[in-house]
Amino acid sequence: MIEVANLEKHYQADGRRVKALDAVSLSIAEGDIFGIIGRSGAGKSTLIRCLNLLERPEQGQVLLNGVDLTLLDSRDLQHTRRRIGMVFQHFNLLSSRSVAGNIRFPLELAGELDNAAMDARVTELLELVGLTAQRDSFPGQLSGGQKQRVGIARALANHPEVLLCDEATSALDPETTDAILALLADINRRLKLTIVLITHEMRVIRTLCDRVAVIEGGRIVESGEVIEVFLHPQHEVTRKLLAETGFYQEASQQAWRQHVQGPLLKLTFVGAPTLNPVLDEVSREHSVRFNLVNGTLADIKGTPFGQLLVSVVSSGLSLERLQQVFVDKGVHCEVQA
Amino acid sequence: MNEITQLFINVDWNEMATASLDTLTMLGASLVFTVVLGLPLGILLFLTSPDQLLARPRLYAALSVIVNILRSLPFVILLIIMIPLTVLLIGTSIGVGGAIPPLVVGAAPFFARLVENVLREVDRGVVEASQSMGASTRQIIVFVLLPEALPGLIGAITVTTVALVGYTAMSGVIGGGGLGDLAVRYGYQRFQTDVMVVTVALLLVLVQILQSTGDRLVRHFSRK
Repeated sequence: MIEVANLEKHYQADGRRVKALDAVSLSIAEGDIFGIIGRSGAGKSTLIRCLNLLERPEQGQVLLNGVDLTLLDSRDLQHTRRRIGMVFQHFNLLSSRSVAGNIRFPLELAGELDNAAMDARVTELLELVGLTAQRDSFPGQLSGGQKQRVGIARALANHPEVLLCDEATSALDPETTDAILALLADINRRLKLTIVLITHEMRVIRTLCDRVAVIEGGRIVESGEVIEVFLHPQHEVTRKLLAETGFYQEASQQAWRQHVQGPLLKLTFVGAPTLNPVLDEVSREHSVRFNLVNGTLADIKGTPFGQLLVSVVSSGLSLERLQQVFVDKGVHCEVQA
Repeated sequence: MNEITQLFINVDWNEMATASLDTLTMLGASLVFTVVLGLPLGILLFLTSPDQLLARPRLYAALSVIVNILRSLPFVILLIIMIPLTVLLIGTSIGVGGAIPPLVVGAAPFFARLVENVLREVDRGVVEASQSMGASTRQIIVFVLLPEALPGLIGAITVTTVALVGYTAMSGVIGGGGLGDLAVRYGYQRFQTDVMVVTVALLLVLVQILQSTGDRLVRHFSRK
């Protein structure tokens, strides 16, 4: 659906040329929710803005269904942009227009519908985002979450094939963030719409995305299915981002490590085993005594997922045998230094 | 009643009414042309300035210099320099008609600068959002920049109108007609202080009305 190949982009900062994007390539499948995560300044904002050419890369291709956007003239680009919706961190609504007027705006720009059809479409979109009662309010009278709902409705007005979300929840409080994420998930499911989002929050990736790419210093350092990346983070940056949300604790780097006796096991549960009393079973069946040191439980887009760090206080089994016992019960087990 | 009439013994009220009407005519006509010329010029200044939609640094610099030159000329000097051009355009350089070209040339660059600044206040993100929706530059000007900047533009028109009131009074110096003309001919040259007082009072009332009307319109169109 979207293919990005070898994007290069520089920007000037304090008279120096800084690389914003460095040989970035991505492939985003139809119907996926694809997350790009990175710290501020990592280049994620530049990357998403290159997808609809709000910023023009110096090199590389941006293909939407096989069409290279960088080769289009301005007229064709304008037409193509109507098929790419975009939602912004600071909403970017027209303050002089009502909620309905804002949602109607992209329809007026496209000029394909008559007045009655535009009004009908606006009504439909207001229902979709749950703002029917605010139809005639002005953006200045809305809360942040409501403004973002208008932004989403506006982005969907022309039946886009892709929705780009530029830090869509970063200006919202946690509760509102959850509501907006639920709305995006719902839209993805109901409209089979491909969504590309950038964020600095792992929580957003975890609750919403199917696939994730981690960007650092303008390079994609890691990408894959969210659950894989959470389970087996390859890159230092990914590990740090995960550790901040409680996942992927590196035992050796924790202050408590020296106080905990015995070998440490990192147990990772995905899906059904998360809900089974695996630790208790192993303990009873093999007379192993565990000391639970750390743990997290969450779900990744509906799949239960957990990670426990346990020290083995005493065991009748060798570590290798014990590891095998866990693997047989469907639990990923790693021995930690 | 009699005492008040005594106080303004030199004032010919009919002439005062005609002069007031002349001032309003000059003001109205010059304001229309100022907006018609200054608004596009202001939009062009904004769009061609660095980092904007049609960034053309050289064109912007050239326009900027022309605007600055016109703005730095004292209006009295402009009135005199403009005489040949005014004769060419209107057929005369005096009277109500003769005052209009210099008024427009004096006010339009000023108004254009105000427009440029007002447009600069429009949230960049909104322009960007419109681009992402596939808006053309023309659509962005008509549907985004101007409506979003409307309160500011009304404010700019108000300020310009008030400045024009001052200019119309000054054009009395070259026989421009209107209240300024009256003030110069009677109040100044014939030492008729009462005429001076009445013209000044009328101009003051005019400016007050213009400013409060402008403020009310700005409030009406503000949505923030």
